Amino acid sequence: MVRPSGAAATMSNLSRNAECVLRILKTADSLTTSEILELAKQEQFADICTDCAGGDAFIAAANELVERGLISKKFGKGGYRWSIVRE
Amino acid sequence: MKLTDWKRVRDDFPALRRRINGKPVVYLDSACMALKPRQVIDAMNVYYEQYPACGGRSIHTFGKEVSEAYALAREKMARFINASRAEECIWTRNATEAINIVARSLKIPKGSKIVTTSLEHHSGSLPFVERAHRDGLRIEVVEARPDGTFDIEDWKAAIDSTTSLVSVVHSSNVTGTVVSLREIVEIAHDRGALVLSDDAQYAPHHPLDVQAFDVDFSALSVHKMCGPSGMGLLYGKLEHLESMDMFLTGGDTVADVRFEDGRIIPEYLPPPEKFEAGLQNYAGAIGAGAAADYLSSIGMKEIEKRERSLLSRALDALKNMNHVHILGTDDIRLRTGLVAFTIDTVGSAHDVATFLNDEYAVMVRSGAHCANPFHYQRGIPPSKGTARASFYLYNNEHDVDTFLEALRALIEASS
Repeated sequence: MVRPSGAAATMSNLSRNAECVLRILKTADSLTTSEILELAKQEQFADICTDCAGGDAFIAAANELVERGLISKKFGKGGYRWSIVRE
Repeated sequence: MKLTDWKRVRDDFPALRRRINGKPVVYLDSACMALKPRQVIDAMNVYYEQYPACGGRSIHTFGKEVSEAYALAREKMARFINASRAEECIWTRNATEAINIVARSLKIPKGSKIVTTSLEHHSGSLPFVERAHRDGLRIEVVEARPDGTFDIEDWKAAIDSTTSLVSVVHSSNVTGTVVSLREIVEIAHDRGALVLSDDAQYAPHHPLDVQAFDVDFSALSVHKMCGPSGMGLLYGKLEHLESMDMFLTGGDTVADVRFEDGRIIPEYLPPPEKFEAGLQNYAGAIGAGAAADYLSSIGMKEIEKRERSLLSRALDALKNMNHVHILGTDDIRLRTGLVAFTIDTVGSAHDVATFLNDEYAVMVRSGAHCANPFHYQRGIPPSKGTARASFYLYNNEHDVDTFLEALRALIEASS
């Protein structure tokens, strides 16, 4: 189920799913969609990455972060790669 | 022979007039939520603008009008599924709630068995898993074949004299496959079991005759059949509805509540009021009736034919596309108008849905579609998932071709 990723978020406050995606992306230069979803299931992210196994909620949250300019996505071989926008 | 003007049908849907990033919308997610025609929106607006009052209680003019419209909507839905009487139709929020009513309220003997399948939507299995856990019942799962069809012998083996209920998805939201419902009902009834048919994906796309199928219960999601969101329907044979326990109780479910010797003693109404506690979604019910009218005016046989034609066009092309793997049977006669697939040049179906939406304004669903068990059975983890394109009466050949063009571009860019 996709929950509105911004439901609990304000401009200065991110939803849990968005925080989850951000925390995962901080661990690498860039990650594929599958890698993000696999990492979301790992113990180290268990406190924040709690949404359903299907992953659609995470992708909706990631797209919201793209719109807010916090992360970027690029489509190429193998699909999308997501990365944090560095200052 | 009736000739439907499909262009005119398409024009009934205001959402299809939108353009996103300069591109016309290609909406292929009707298996999740169908778009709404002007006729349904107008019917609901008339309620809100002309008589937005309580039904079944207030005696003023608005109250009378909404009561009549509400009752008429139930009759329309009863006709739509060919129920023998309107009282057999209970308004719910969705098919999920309809199934939960059966799972919670049907009297099921302790130690008996409920039979379901690996292909169910979570809403078709979990209410019974929980009931079994609560009341010490057994659950037996009939496994679908990889293409989403079933071996009827497996049903014969699973349903025995200890089976109290069979919960079966009539048309799968993943493979689109349609089960042999008549045969399953016959086996179940022969062995003394009742049958609940999850018609959420079947009713919007095929003629549904609950009497001909002889099901004991049927669950529908009105929002998948051009009606408003937050509306569903439970059909039940009256004898079963009458003998079931209460689900939600409160206002509108009672004939009287006496107060005797310090005790509150309810006397409940018969179905359908028995299962419709509190103020109802009158606008939703009226919209549901309008949706039933709308689909009936076109004809469910016509709609079924139209969708099969669009599905054939899509399947023929997809089968010849490298890197695309289709779920579901090749036999188009056994399919509803949807196709789920994986593409091996991308790691996740979410990439397919994102690319199609961003680059082509083509809207498909991705994930496990609330059918995780079947995805695990097929060796597809939910995080990889499948992409699903679902067609409805407002789609056209151009939609299919745009979808295919977008997939070709995706495969080229990701290879």
